[in-house]
Amino acid sequence: MKIKTRDFGEIEISEGEIVTFCQPVFGFEGSTRYVFLHDDEVDGHFVWLQSVDEQNVRFILISPSVVSDDYRPKLPQEIRQQLGEGEYESWLITVIPEDLRRSTVNLKSPIVVNPSSMVAAQVILDEDLPIRFPLFDNAKEEA
Amino acid sequence: MLILSRKCGESLIINNEIELKVTEISGDKVKIGIEAPKDYKILRKELCQTVEYNRAAASGSMPEEMLRLIAQIKK
Repeated sequence: MKIKTRDFGEIEISEGEIVTFCQPVFGFEGSTRYVFLHDDEVDGHFVWLQSVDEQNVRFILISPSVVSDDYRPKLPQEIRQQLGEGEYESWLITVIPEDLRRSTVNLKSPIVVNPSSMVAAQVILDEDLPIRFPLFDNAKEEA
Repeated sequence: MLILSRKCGESLIINNEIELKVTEISGDKVKIGIEAPKDYKILRKELCQTVEYNRAAASGSMPEEMLRLIAQIKK
């Protein structure tokens, strides 16, 4: 099927690539179906989470490994039940402002995906983690 | 910020229309019951902040310069 994306124009995807959110991205409840897009020219630590339902809804996600060596979110039981069995992947939503050095990631509310079931969720963790964590060290020093 | 001590079962009334009642205390968690008019939206703060963050994230872009900066922080 063809979908319109915000950053890559119209692209062809297969139904099997669609990830369904059991708990949608908060504030974007109108979109429950997304695809993960990788840009060949962009480092693999970044992915684009593009809504299949709404062309203009897309998020740029970064792998937690870029900011932390041991990011293992503890998920509530009900979320684990909805995601199903499998090895979950976590991704962090980024905000990239005009002043790039002030870019942040949200460690408190990761996107968690089960590639086996193709079910995902945005989860607000119980753990005390920052919502706006500076991506770059120089911004941390200023903060 | 106004800070008041309350025991389990005790309440606060805000502006004669909202009641906040401490219903349970265990470990580092407190359960709070809220009685408020129906049209008052009550959300956990981290949810509000996440919604706000998500909105900012959806409107940003990914300039090439960013990739160069990321390459610098990766070990």
